Amino acid sequence: MNIETDISLQRNITMESRKKAKRKKVLGNYLFILPGGIFLLLFLVFPIGYNLKITFEDLTALNILKDQSFVGLENYATVLKDKIFLLSLKNSVIFTGLCIFFQFTIGFAFALFFNKKFPGRNVMRALILIAWMIPLVITGTLFKWMFAGDHGIINHLFMWLGLIDQPIHWLINDHTSLYSTIIANIWIGIPFNMIILLAGLQSLPEETYEAAKVDGAGKVRQFFSITLPLMKPTILTLLVLGIIYTFKVFDIILIMTGGGPVNSSTVLPFYSYEMAFTNYNFSLGATVNTIMLGLLILVALVYLWLVRKEENV
Amino acid sequence: MNSLLKVNQKYFTTVIAVISTIIFLFPVYWMVTTSIKPMSGILATTPQLIPHEIQFQAYVKNFIQDTEILRFFLNSVIIAAGSMILTLLFASPFSYALARLDLRGKGWIIGFMLVVQMLPNIMLALPFFILFSKLHLLNNFISLIIANATLSMPFAILVLRPFFMSIPKGLEEAAVIDGCSRFTAFWKIILPLAKPGLLTVGSFCFLHAWGDLLFALILTTDKSIRPLTVHLYTFVGQYGTDWNSLMAVATVCVIPIIIIFIAFQKHIVGGLASGSVK
Repeated sequence: MNIETDISLQRNITMESRKKAKRKKVLGNYLFILPGGIFLLLFLVFPIGYNLKITFEDLTALNILKDQSFVGLENYATVLKDKIFLLSLKNSVIFTGLCIFFQFTIGFAFALFFNKKFPGRNVMRALILIAWMIPLVITGTLFKWMFAGDHGIINHLFMWLGLIDQPIHWLINDHTSLYSTIIANIWIGIPFNMIILLAGLQSLPEETYEAAKVDGAGKVRQFFSITLPLMKPTILTLLVLGIIYTFKVFDIILIMTGGGPVNSSTVLPFYSYEMAFTNYNFSLGATVNTIMLGLLILVALVYLWLVRKEENV
Repeated sequence: MNSLLKVNQKYFTTVIAVISTIIFLFPVYWMVTTSIKPMSGILATTPQLIPHEIQFQAYVKNFIQDTEILRFFLNSVIIAAGSMILTLLFASPFSYALARLDLRGKGWIIGFMLVVQMLPNIMLALPFFILFSKLHLLNNFISLIIANATLSMPFAILVLRPFFMSIPKGLEEAAVIDGCSRFTAFWKIILPLAKPGLLTVGSFCFLHAWGDLLFALILTTDKSIRPLTVHLYTFVGQYGTDWNSLMAVATVCVIPIIIIFIAFQKHIVGGLASGSVK
Protein backbone atom coordinates (compact mmCIF):
# COMPACT_ATOMS: atom_id res chain seq x y z
CA MET A 1 0.00 0.00 0.00
CA ASN A 2 2.68 2.38 1.10
CA ILE A 3 4.94 1.37 -1.66
CA GLU A 4 2.19 1.80 -4.22
CA THR A 5 1.48 5.40 -3.23
CA ASP A 6 5.16 6.00 -3.31
CA ILE A 7 5.38 4.81 -6.85
CA SER A 8 2.34 6.78 -7.99
CA LEU A 9 3.76 9.87 -6.26
CA GLN A 10 7.03 9.37 -8.03
CA ARG A 11 5.26 8.89 -11.30
CA ASN A 12 3.41 12.13 -10.71
CA ILE A 13 6.64 13.96 -10.06
CA THR A 14 8.34 12.61 -13.13
CA MET A 15 5.31 13.44 -15.25
CA GLU A 16 5.28 16.93 -13.84
CA SER A 17 8.95 17.47 -14.59
CA ARG A 18 8.55 15.93 -18.00
CA LYS A 19 5.72 18.32 -18.73
CA LYS A 20 7.91 21.17 -17.54
CA ALA A 21 10.78 19.98 -19.72
CA LYS A 22 8.42 19.71 -22.65
CA ARG A 23 7.09 23.19 -22.09
CA LYS A 24 10.67 24.45 -21.91
CA LYS A 25 11.45 22.64 -25.15
CA VAL A 26 8.41 24.16 -26.83
CA LEU A 27 9.40 27.59 -25.61
CA GLY A 28 12.87 26.90 -27.02
CA ASN A 29 11.20 26.25 -30.37
CA TYR A 30 9.96 29.81 -30.47
CA LEU A 31 13.56 31.07 -30.27
CA PHE A 32 13.96 29.86 -33.84
CA ILE A 33 11.29 32.21 -35.12
CA LEU A 34 12.12 35.06 -32.75
CA PRO A 35 14.74 36.98 -34.82
CA GLY A 36 12.80 36.71 -38.07
CA GLY A 37 9.55 37.42 -36.26
CA ILE A 38 10.86 40.61 -34.70
CA PHE A 39 12.30 41.67 -38.04
CA LEU A 40 8.98 41.14 -39.81
CA LEU A 41 7.03 42.91 -37.07
CA LEU A 42 9.33 45.91 -37.26
CA PHE A 43 9.72 46.19 -41.00
CA LEU A 44 6.58 44.61 -42.41
CA VAL A 45 3.68 44.74 -39.97
CA PHE A 46 4.55 48.10 -38.48
CA PRO A 47 4.97 49.89 -41.87
CA ILE A 48 1.66 48.48 -43.10
CA GLY A 49 -0.01 49.73 -39.94
CA TYR A 50 1.74 53.07 -40.28
CA ASN A 51 0.55 53.31 -43.88
CA LEU A 52 -3.02 52.78 -42.68
CA LYS A 53 -2.63 55.32 -39.87
CA ILE A 54 -1.50 58.18 -42.11
CA THR A 55 -4.49 57.74 -44.40
CA PHE A 56 -6.48 59.47 -41.64
CA GLU A 57 -3.98 62.32 -41.33
CA ASP A 58 -2.67 65.14 -43.50
CA LEU A 59 0.97 64.11 -43.83
CA THR A 60 2.86 65.96 -46.57
CA ALA A 61 6.51 66.86 -47.11
CA LEU A 62 5.77 70.18 -45.42
CA ASN A 63 4.70 68.86 -42.04
CA ILE A 64 6.68 65.62 -41.93
CA LEU A 65 8.76 66.73 -38.94
CA LYS A 66 5.85 68.38 -37.13
CA ASP A 67 2.59 67.00 -35.82
CA GLN A 68 -0.13 65.96 -38.22
CA SER A 69 -3.78 66.53 -37.63
CA PHE A 70 -6.51 63.92 -37.84
CA VAL A 71 -8.72 64.44 -40.87
CA GLY A 72 -11.00 61.42 -40.70
CA LEU A 73 -12.03 60.00 -44.06
CA GLU A 74 -11.25 63.17 -45.99
CA ASN A 75 -8.34 61.56 -47.90
CA TYR A 76 -10.54 58.72 -49.07
CA ALA A 77 -13.14 61.21 -50.29
CA THR A 78 -10.45 63.21 -52.13
CA VAL A 79 -9.02 60.14 -53.82
CA LEU A 80 -12.34 58.59 -54.80
CA LYS A 81 -13.49 61.86 -56.35
CA ASP A 82 -10.24 62.33 -58.28
CA LYS A 83 -10.69 61.79 -62.02
CA ILE A 84 -7.11 60.52 -62.33
CA PHE A 85 -7.82 57.88 -59.71
CA LEU A 86 -10.76 56.58 -61.73
CA LEU A 87 -8.67 56.65 -64.89
CA SER A 88 -5.83 54.72 -63.18
CA LEU A 89 -8.29 52.19 -61.84
CA LYS A 90 -9.64 51.68 -65.35
CA ASN A 91 -6.10 51.45 -66.73
CA SER A 92 -5.14 48.96 -64.03
CA VAL A 93 -8.11 46.77 -64.94
CA ILE A 94 -7.28 46.92 -68.67
CA PHE A 95 -3.59 46.34 -67.99
CA THR A 96 -4.18 43.38 -65.69
CA GLY A 97 -6.92 41.85 -67.82
CA LEU A 98 -5.09 41.97 -71.14
CA CYS A 99 -1.76 40.93 -69.65
CA ILE A 100 -3.25 37.93 -67.88
CA PHE A 101 -5.22 36.82 -70.93
CA PHE A 102 -2.27 36.85 -73.33
CA GLN A 103 0.38 35.70 -70.84
CA PHE A 104 -1.78 32.78 -69.92
CA THR A 105 -2.79 31.69 -73.43
CA ILE A 106 0.67 32.07 -74.92
CA GLY A 107 2.24 30.58 -71.80
CA PHE A 108 -0.13 27.60 -72.04
CA ALA A 109 0.72 27.07 -75.69
CA PHE A 110 4.42 27.12 -74.83
CA ALA A 111 3.85 24.74 -71.91
CA LEU A 112 1.94 22.23 -74.05
CA PHE A 113 4.68 22.38 -76.62
CA PHE A 114 7.53 22.02 -74.13
CA ASN A 115 5.73 19.13 -72.48
CA LYS A 116 6.72 17.02 -75.49
CA LYS A 117 10.05 15.25 -75.39
CA PHE A 118 12.59 16.47 -77.92
CA PRO A 119 16.34 17.11 -77.96
CA GLY A 120 17.40 20.45 -76.49
CA ARG A 121 14.16 20.91 -74.59
CA ASN A 122 15.67 21.80 -71.22
CA VAL A 123 18.15 24.29 -72.67
CA MET A 124 15.43 26.17 -74.53
CA ARG A 125 13.06 26.13 -71.59
CA ALA A 126 15.80 27.69 -69.46
CA LEU A 127 16.60 30.28 -72.14
CA ILE A 128 12.97 31.40 -72.27
CA LEU A 129 12.97 31.86 -68.52
CA ILE A 130 15.71 34.48 -68.88
CA ALA A 131 13.08 36.96 -70.06
CA TRP A 132 11.46 36.67 -66.67
CA MET A 133 14.70 37.05 -64.71
CA ILE A 134 15.85 40.30 -66.34
CA PRO A 135 15.31 43.32 -64.04
CA LEU A 136 12.20 45.24 -65.07
CA VAL A 137 14.18 48.45 -65.53
CA ILE A 138 16.14 46.79 -68.27
CA THR A 139 13.14 45.22 -69.95
CA GLY A 140 11.45 48.61 -69.80
CA THR A 141 14.41 50.36 -71.40
CA LEU A 142 14.66 47.68 -74.03
CA PHE A 143 11.00 47.92 -75.01
CA LYS A 144 11.24 51.70 -74.96
CA TRP A 145 13.89 51.35 -77.64
CA MET A 146 11.87 48.85 -79.65
CA PHE A 147 8.76 51.03 -79.47
CA ALA A 148 10.71 54.21 -80.26
CA GLY A 149 9.01 56.46 -82.83
CA ASP A 150 12.25 57.04 -84.68
CA HIS A 151 14.13 53.94 -85.80
CA GLY A 152 12.30 51.61 -83.42
CA ILE A 153 12.18 48.04 -84.70
CA ILE A 154 8.42 47.73 -84.18
CA ASN A 155 7.72 50.61 -86.54
CA HIS A 156 10.10 49.05 -89.06
CA LEU A 157 8.32 45.70 -88.76
CA PHE A 158 4.81 47.14 -89.06
CA MET A 159 5.76 49.26 -92.05
CA TRP A 160 7.40 46.29 -93.71
CA LEU A 161 4.24 44.27 -93.11
CA GLY A 162 2.22 47.14 -94.54
CA LEU A 163 0.17 47.59 -91.36
CA ILE A 164 1.07 51.28 -91.04
CA ASP A 165 2.15 53.90 -93.57
CA GLN A 166 4.28 56.03 -91.36
CA PRO A 167 6.03 55.62 -87.99
CA ILE A 168 3.83 55.83 -84.90
CA HIS A 169 5.18 57.39 -81.74
CA TRP A 170 3.79 54.59 -79.59
CA LEU A 171 4.86 55.84 -76.19
CA ILE A 172 3.91 59.48 -76.51
CA ASN A 173 0.53 58.83 -78.09
CA ASP A 174 -2.30 58.61 -75.58
CA HIS A 175 -4.10 55.92 -77.62
CA THR A 176 -1.15 53.54 -77.73
CA SER A 177 0.99 54.22 -74.64
CA LEU A 178 -0.86 51.88 -72.28
CA TYR A 179 -0.98 49.08 -74.86
CA SER A 180 2.75 49.34 -75.48
CA THR A 181 3.47 48.79 -71.79
CA ILE A 182 1.01 45.88 -71.82
CA ILE A 183 2.92 44.20 -74.63
CA ALA A 184 6.18 44.58 -72.73
CA ASN A 185 4.62 43.08 -69.63
CA ILE A 186 3.12 40.17 -71.53
CA TRP A 187 6.60 39.31 -72.75
CA ILE A 188 7.84 39.21 -69.15
CA GLY A 189 4.92 37.11 -67.91
CA ILE A 190 4.93 34.35 -70.54
CA PRO A 191 7.90 32.39 -69.08
CA PHE A 192 6.42 32.43 -65.59
CA ASN A 193 3.07 31.11 -66.84
CA MET A 194 4.83 28.54 -68.97
CA ILE A 195 6.93 27.12 -66.11
CA ILE A 196 4.03 26.85 -63.68
CA LEU A 197 1.71 25.25 -66.26
CA LEU A 198 4.47 22.92 -67.41
CA ALA A 199 5.00 21.73 -63.84
CA GLY A 200 1.25 21.09 -63.65
CA LEU A 201 1.16 19.23 -66.98
CA GLN A 202 4.06 17.01 -65.99
CA SER A 203 2.25 15.85 -62.89
CA LEU A 204 -0.82 14.64 -64.82
CA PRO A 205 -1.32 10.84 -64.89
CA GLU A 206 -0.26 9.34 -68.21
CA GLU A 207 -2.67 6.39 -67.92
CA THR A 208 -5.69 8.65 -68.32
CA TYR A 209 -4.39 9.75 -71.72
CA GLU A 210 -3.62 6.17 -72.71
CA ALA A 211 -7.18 5.20 -71.82
CA ALA A 212 -8.59 8.13 -73.74
CA LYS A 213 -6.49 7.19 -76.75
CA VAL A 214 -7.82 3.64 -76.60
CA ASP A 215 -11.33 5.05 -76.47
CA GLY A 216 -10.54 7.02 -79.61
CA ALA A 217 -10.44 10.54 -78.24
CA GLY A 218 -8.48 12.95 -80.44
CA LYS A 219 -5.87 15.45 -79.26
CA VAL A 220 -8.36 18.31 -79.06
CA ARG A 221 -10.90 16.23 -77.20
CA GLN A 222 -8.16 15.05 -74.81
CA PHE A 223 -7.18 18.64 -74.12
CA PHE A 224 -10.66 19.84 -73.30
CA SER A 225 -11.91 16.70 -71.51
CA ILE A 226 -8.78 15.68 -69.59
CA THR A 227 -6.08 18.32 -69.50
CA LEU A 228 -8.18 21.36 -68.70
CA PRO A 229 -10.32 19.81 -65.93
CA LEU A 230 -7.30 18.18 -64.28
CA MET A 231 -5.29 21.39 -64.49
CA LYS A 232 -8.05 23.47 -62.90
CA PRO A 233 -6.40 23.94 -59.48
CA THR A 234 -3.08 24.97 -61.07
CA ILE A 235 -4.84 27.31 -63.47
CA LEU A 236 -6.86 28.93 -60.71
CA THR A 237 -3.81 29.54 -58.52
CA LEU A 238 -1.82 30.81 -61.47
CA LEU A 239 -4.53 33.26 -62.51
CA VAL A 240 -4.83 34.67 -58.99
CA LEU A 241 -1.06 34.97 -58.64
CA GLY A 242 -0.98 36.55 -62.08
CA ILE A 243 -3.59 39.15 -61.15
CA ILE A 244 -1.73 40.03 -57.97
CA TYR A 245 1.69 40.27 -59.65
CA THR A 246 0.40 42.18 -62.67
CA PHE A 247 -1.58 44.62 -60.61
CA LYS A 248 1.67 45.58 -58.83
CA VAL A 249 3.61 46.48 -62.00
CA PHE A 250 5.31 49.80 -61.60
CA ASP A 251 8.83 49.85 -63.05
CA ILE A 252 7.75 49.16 -66.63
CA ILE A 253 5.34 52.10 -66.60
CA LEU A 254 7.85 54.45 -64.96
CA ILE A 255 10.55 53.68 -67.53
CA MET A 256 8.51 53.41 -70.70
CA THR A 257 5.93 56.19 -70.40
CA GLY A 258 6.18 57.77 -66.95
CA GLY A 259 2.43 57.27 -66.76
CA GLY A 260 1.86 59.63 -69.65
CA PRO A 261 0.99 61.22 -71.90
CA VAL A 262 -1.64 62.98 -69.79
CA ASN A 263 -1.97 60.03 -67.40
CA SER A 264 -3.08 57.77 -70.26
CA SER A 265 -0.87 54.95 -68.97
CA THR A 266 -1.09 55.65 -65.24
CA VAL A 267 -1.98 52.53 -63.24
CA LEU A 268 -2.78 52.49 -59.52
CA PRO A 269 0.68 51.79 -58.06
CA PHE A 270 2.09 54.51 -60.28
CA TYR A 271 -0.65 56.92 -59.24
CA SER A 272 0.23 56.27 -55.60
CA TYR A 273 3.91 56.88 -56.35
CA GLU A 274 3.06 60.17 -58.06
CA MET A 275 0.88 61.30 -55.19
CA ALA A 276 3.60 60.54 -52.66
CA PHE A 277 6.81 61.39 -54.47
CA THR A 278 5.92 63.91 -57.15
CA ASN A 279 3.27 65.86 -55.22
CA TYR A 280 4.77 64.90 -51.83
CA ASN A 281 1.33 64.24 -50.39
CA PHE A 282 2.15 61.11 -48.42
CA SER A 283 -1.29 60.71 -46.89
CA LEU A 284 -2.99 60.62 -50.30
CA GLY A 285 -0.40 58.14 -51.57
CA ALA A 286 -1.00 55.95 -48.54
CA THR A 287 -4.75 56.18 -49.14
CA VAL A 288 -4.34 54.88 -52.68
CA ASN A 289 -2.16 52.06 -51.26
CA THR A 290 -4.86 51.11 -48.81
CA ILE A 291 -7.53 51.06 -51.51
CA MET A 292 -5.26 48.83 -53.60
CA LEU A 293 -4.78 46.52 -50.64
CA GLY A 294 -8.55 46.31 -50.24
CA LEU A 295 -8.94 45.32 -53.90
CA LEU A 296 -6.23 42.67 -53.63
CA ILE A 297 -7.80 41.20 -50.51
CA LEU A 298 -11.06 41.02 -52.45
CA VAL A 299 -9.33 39.02 -55.20
CA ALA A 300 -7.83 36.71 -52.57
CA LEU A 301 -11.23 36.16 -50.97
CA VAL A 302 -12.82 35.32 -54.31
CA TYR A 303 -10.01 32.85 -54.84
CA LEU A 304 -10.58 31.21 -51.45
CA TRP A 305 -14.29 31.03 -52.15
CA LEU A 306 -13.64 29.35 -55.52
CA VAL A 307 -11.25 26.86 -53.96
CA ARG A 308 -13.73 25.98 -51.23
CA LYS A 309 -16.52 25.55 -53.78
CA GLU A 310 -14.23 23.28 -55.78
CA GLU A 311 -13.47 21.15 -52.72
CA ASN A 312 -17.11 20.79 -51.78
CA VAL A 313 -18.15 19.52 -55.19
CA MET B 1 10.52 3.04 -91.42
CA ASN B 2 8.13 3.94 -88.66
CA SER B 3 10.96 4.68 -86.20
CA LEU B 4 12.70 6.82 -88.81
CA LEU B 5 9.54 8.86 -89.11
CA LYS B 6 9.41 9.19 -85.33
CA VAL B 7 13.02 10.42 -85.15
CA ASN B 8 12.30 12.90 -87.89
CA GLN B 9 9.24 14.11 -86.06
CA LYS B 10 11.32 14.62 -82.92
CA TYR B 11 13.80 16.79 -84.76
CA PHE B 12 11.00 18.63 -86.47
CA THR B 13 9.69 19.54 -83.00
CA THR B 14 13.16 20.73 -82.06
CA VAL B 15 13.29 22.96 -85.12
CA ILE B 16 9.96 24.56 -84.25
CA ALA B 17 11.11 24.97 -80.63
CA VAL B 18 14.32 26.67 -81.76
CA ILE B 19 12.42 29.04 -84.04
CA SER B 20 9.91 30.02 -81.38
CA THR B 21 12.66 30.47 -78.77
CA ILE B 22 14.56 32.72 -81.17
CA ILE B 23 11.49 34.83 -81.89
CA PHE B 24 10.66 35.05 -78.21
CA LEU B 25 14.16 36.08 -77.20
CA PHE B 26 14.58 38.53 -80.07
CA PRO B 27 14.37 41.56 -77.72
CA VAL B 28 17.42 40.32 -75.82
CA TYR B 29 19.31 39.80 -79.09
CA TRP B 30 18.27 43.28 -80.19
CA MET B 31 19.60 44.75 -76.95
CA VAL B 32 23.02 43.15 -77.35
CA THR B 33 23.37 43.94 -81.05
CA THR B 34 22.27 47.56 -80.59
CA SER B 35 25.04 47.98 -78.04
CA ILE B 36 27.72 46.89 -80.50
CA LYS B 37 26.49 48.73 -83.59
CA PRO B 38 27.86 52.10 -84.65
CA MET B 39 25.32 54.94 -84.59
CA SER B 40 24.98 54.74 -88.40
CA GLY B 41 23.90 51.13 -88.09
CA ILE B 42 21.33 51.94 -85.40
CA LEU B 43 19.79 54.80 -87.38
CA ALA B 44 19.85 53.00 -90.75
CA THR B 45 16.62 53.25 -92.77
CA THR B 46 16.46 49.48 -93.11
CA PRO B 47 17.17 47.93 -89.72
CA GLN B 48 20.28 45.74 -89.61
CA LEU B 49 19.14 42.44 -88.15
CA ILE B 50 22.74 41.32 -88.35
CA PRO B 51 25.13 44.22 -87.58
CA HIS B 52 27.09 45.21 -90.70
CA GLU B 53 29.84 46.60 -88.57
CA ILE B 54 30.75 45.78 -84.98
CA GLN B 55 32.37 48.17 -82.55
CA PHE B 56 32.62 48.48 -78.80
CA GLN B 57 32.59 52.26 -78.60
CA ALA B 58 29.63 52.34 -76.21
CA TYR B 59 31.36 50.01 -73.75
CA VAL B 60 34.60 52.02 -73.88
CA LYS B 61 32.70 55.25 -73.37
CA ASN B 62 30.57 54.05 -70.47
CA PHE B 63 32.84 51.69 -68.63
CA ILE B 64 36.45 52.65 -69.37
CA GLN B 65 36.40 56.39 -69.97
CA ASP B 66 33.70 56.92 -67.38
CA THR B 67 34.51 54.74 -64.40
CA GLU B 68 31.66 56.10 -62.28
CA ILE B 69 29.49 53.23 -63.38
CA LEU B 70 31.76 50.72 -61.68
CA ARG B 71 30.75 52.38 -58.42
CA PHE B 72 27.06 51.77 -59.23
CA PHE B 73 27.84 48.19 -60.10
CA LEU B 74 29.58 47.71 -56.77
CA ASN B 75 26.66 49.34 -54.94
CA SER B 76 24.28 46.87 -56.60
CA VAL B 77 26.46 43.98 -55.47
CA ILE B 78 26.57 45.31 -51.87
CA ILE B 79 22.80 45.78 -51.73
CA ALA B 80 21.94 42.47 -53.38
CA ALA B 81 24.46 40.41 -51.39
CA GLY B 82 23.58 42.18 -48.14
CA SER B 83 19.87 41.58 -48.43
CA MET B 84 20.44 37.99 -49.52
CA ILE B 85 22.54 37.29 -46.41
CA LEU B 86 20.10 39.07 -44.11
CA THR B 87 17.16 37.17 -45.58
CA LEU B 88 18.80 33.76 -45.29
CA LEU B 89 19.97 34.50 -41.76
CA PHE B 90 16.47 35.21 -40.49
CA ALA B 91 14.43 33.06 -42.85
CA SER B 92 16.22 29.72 -42.44
CA PRO B 93 15.68 29.18 -38.66
CA PHE B 94 12.14 30.55 -39.05
CA SER B 95 11.33 28.25 -41.91
CA TYR B 96 12.96 25.28 -40.14
CA ALA B 97 10.76 25.89 -37.10
CA LEU B 98 7.68 26.00 -39.31
CA ALA B 99 8.68 22.78 -41.02
CA ARG B 100 9.76 20.72 -38.04
CA LEU B 101 9.08 22.13 -34.59
CA ASP B 102 6.07 22.25 -32.37
CA LEU B 103 4.59 25.76 -32.64
CA ARG B 104 1.20 27.26 -32.12
CA GLY B 105 -0.58 29.06 -34.93
CA LYS B 106 1.60 27.62 -37.71
CA GLY B 107 -1.29 27.81 -40.17
CA TRP B 108 -1.81 31.47 -39.41
CA ILE B 109 1.87 32.28 -39.84
CA ILE B 110 1.97 30.52 -43.20
CA GLY B 111 -1.22 32.28 -44.30
CA PHE B 112 0.27 35.62 -43.29
CA MET B 113 3.40 34.93 -45.35
CA LEU B 114 1.23 34.13 -48.37
CA VAL B 115 -0.87 37.26 -48.01
CA VAL B 116 1.98 39.75 -47.55
CA GLN B 117 3.52 38.59 -50.80
CA MET B 118 0.75 40.31 -52.70
CA LEU B 119 1.46 43.76 -51.30
CA PRO B 120 2.55 46.23 -53.97
CA ASN B 121 6.10 47.47 -53.32
CA ILE B 122 4.90 51.04 -53.07
CA MET B 123 2.83 50.06 -50.05
CA LEU B 124 6.08 49.40 -48.20
CA ALA B 125 8.22 51.99 -49.92
CA LEU B 126 6.08 54.90 -48.78
CA PRO B 127 6.15 54.15 -45.02
CA PHE B 128 9.81 53.14 -45.36
CA PHE B 129 10.62 56.56 -46.76
CA ILE B 130 8.95 58.36 -43.87
CA LEU B 131 10.28 56.07 -41.17
CA PHE B 132 13.82 55.92 -42.48
CA SER B 133 13.93 59.67 -42.97
CA LYS B 134 12.88 60.08 -39.34
CA LEU B 135 15.63 57.66 -38.33
CA HIS B 136 18.15 59.50 -40.57
CA LEU B 137 18.74 56.32 -42.51
CA LEU B 138 18.07 57.68 -46.00
CA ASN B 139 21.08 57.35 -48.30
CA ASN B 140 22.32 54.43 -46.33
CA PHE B 141 22.98 50.87 -47.50
CA ILE B 142 21.35 49.59 -44.32
CA SER B 143 17.92 50.96 -45.23
CA LEU B 144 18.11 49.52 -48.74
CA ILE B 145 19.26 46.14 -47.48
CA ILE B 146 16.47 46.05 -44.89
CA ALA B 147 13.84 47.09 -47.44
CA ASN B 148 14.82 44.41 -49.94
CA ALA B 149 15.16 41.75 -47.25
CA THR B 150 11.68 42.55 -45.96
CA LEU B 151 10.25 41.97 -49.39
CA SER B 152 11.98 38.64 -49.98
CA MET B 153 11.72 37.17 -46.48
CA PRO B 154 8.13 35.80 -46.64
CA PHE B 155 8.93 34.24 -50.01
CA ALA B 156 12.15 32.75 -48.64
CA ILE B 157 10.40 31.28 -45.60
CA LEU B 158 7.73 29.64 -47.74
CA VAL B 159 10.09 28.24 -50.35
CA LEU B 160 12.61 26.90 -47.79
CA ARG B 161 9.98 25.03 -45.79
CA PRO B 162 9.56 22.02 -48.11
CA PHE B 163 13.35 21.64 -48.28
CA PHE B 164 13.53 21.33 -44.49
CA MET B 165 10.57 18.97 -44.45
CA SER B 166 12.29 16.64 -46.91
CA ILE B 167 15.31 16.06 -44.63
CA PRO B 168 14.97 12.74 -42.73
CA LYS B 169 13.62 13.38 -39.26
CA GLY B 170 15.88 10.98 -37.36
CA LEU B 171 18.99 13.05 -38.01
CA GLU B 172 18.49 15.90 -35.59
CA GLU B 173 16.84 13.61 -33.03
CA ALA B 174 20.00 11.53 -33.01
CA ALA B 175 22.10 14.64 -32.61
CA VAL B 176 19.98 15.86 -29.70
CA ILE B 177 20.32 12.46 -27.98
CA ASP B 178 24.08 12.69 -28.46
CA GLY B 179 24.02 15.89 -26.44
CA CYS B 180 23.72 18.55 -29.14
CA SER B 181 21.35 21.43 -28.43
CA ARG B 182 18.48 21.90 -30.88
CA PHE B 183 20.22 24.88 -32.29
CA THR B 184 23.58 23.20 -32.78
CA ALA B 185 21.77 20.34 -34.48
CA PHE B 186 20.09 22.82 -36.80
CA TRP B 187 23.27 24.73 -37.52
CA LYS B 188 25.68 21.82 -37.95
CA ILE B 189 23.46 19.10 -39.41
CA ILE B 190 20.29 20.48 -40.96
CA LEU B 191 21.58 23.61 -42.67
CA PRO B 192 24.34 21.83 -44.63
CA LEU B 193 21.74 19.32 -45.82
CA ALA B 194 19.39 22.11 -46.90
CA LYS B 195 22.05 23.58 -49.17
CA PRO B 196 20.07 23.16 -52.42
CA GLY B 197 17.17 25.06 -50.87
CA LEU B 198 19.46 27.77 -49.58
CA LEU B 199 20.98 28.12 -53.06
CA THR B 200 17.56 28.44 -54.69
CA VAL B 201 16.29 30.99 -52.21
CA GLY B 202 19.62 32.82 -52.04
CA SER B 203 19.78 33.31 -55.78
CA PHE B 204 16.18 34.52 -55.85
CA CYS B 205 16.85 37.04 -53.08
CA PHE B 206 19.95 38.25 -54.85
CA LEU B 207 18.09 38.67 -58.15
CA HIS B 208 15.14 40.43 -56.50
CA ALA B 209 17.39 42.96 -54.82
CA TRP B 210 19.54 43.34 -57.93
CA GLY B 211 16.52 44.30 -59.98
CA ASP B 212 14.89 46.61 -57.43
CA LEU B 213 14.25 50.11 -58.67
CA LEU B 214 11.54 51.57 -56.48
CA PHE B 215 13.21 51.25 -53.07
CA ALA B 216 16.50 52.57 -54.38
CA LEU B 217 14.77 55.43 -56.16
CA ILE B 218 12.88 56.50 -53.06
CA LEU B 219 15.42 55.79 -50.32
CA THR B 220 18.47 57.36 -51.97
CA THR B 221 19.25 60.82 -53.26
CA ASP B 222 22.99 60.46 -53.02
CA LYS B 223 24.76 59.15 -56.10
CA SER B 224 27.43 57.38 -54.05
CA ILE B 225 25.13 54.60 -52.87
CA ARG B 226 22.80 54.30 -55.85
CA PRO B 227 22.59 50.93 -57.58
CA LEU B 228 22.86 50.23 -61.28
CA THR B 229 19.09 50.18 -61.81
CA VAL B 230 18.64 53.78 -60.67
CA HIS B 231 21.60 54.79 -62.79
CA LEU B 232 20.01 53.21 -65.83
CA TYR B 233 16.74 54.98 -65.04
CA THR B 234 18.33 58.44 -64.77
CA PHE B 235 20.39 57.58 -67.84
CA VAL B 236 17.18 57.01 -69.83
CA GLY B 237 16.03 60.46 -68.76
CA GLN B 238 19.29 62.19 -69.62
CA TYR B 239 20.35 60.50 -72.84
CA GLY B 240 16.86 59.61 -74.08
CA THR B 241 17.90 58.43 -77.50
CA ASP B 242 21.51 57.42 -77.05
CA TRP B 243 20.35 53.81 -77.55
CA ASN B 244 23.86 52.62 -78.15
CA SER B 245 25.04 53.57 -74.64
CA LEU B 246 21.74 52.64 -73.00
CA MET B 247 21.82 49.13 -74.43
CA ALA B 248 25.48 48.71 -73.43
CA VAL B 249 24.67 49.58 -69.81
CA ALA B 250 21.58 47.36 -69.92
CA THR B 251 23.60 44.45 -71.30
CA VAL B 252 26.19 44.76 -68.53
CA CYS B 253 23.40 44.88 -65.96
CA VAL B 254 22.02 41.59 -67.26
CA ILE B 255 25.34 39.72 -67.26
CA PRO B 256 25.39 38.86 -63.51
CA ILE B 257 21.86 37.55 -63.87
CA ILE B 258 22.76 35.29 -66.75
CA ILE B 259 25.77 34.00 -64.79
CA ILE B 260 23.72 33.26 -61.67
CA PHE B 261 21.02 31.76 -63.80
CA ILE B 262 23.36 29.40 -65.65
CA ALA B 263 25.05 28.38 -62.39
CA PHE B 264 21.83 27.65 -60.49
CA GLN B 265 19.46 26.93 -63.37
CA LYS B 266 18.19 23.64 -61.97
CA HIS B 267 17.56 25.09 -58.51
CA ILE B 268 15.84 28.18 -59.84
CA VAL B 269 13.41 26.36 -62.13
CA GLY B 270 12.59 23.82 -59.41
CA GLY B 271 12.18 26.46 -56.74
CA LEU B 272 9.93 28.56 -58.92
CA ALA B 273 7.57 25.68 -59.56
CA SER B 274 7.47 24.46 -55.96
CA GLY B 275 7.35 27.81 -54.24
CA SER B 276 4.76 29.63 -56.25
CA VAL B 277 1.98 27.13 -56.56
CA LYS B 278 1.36 26.35 -52.93
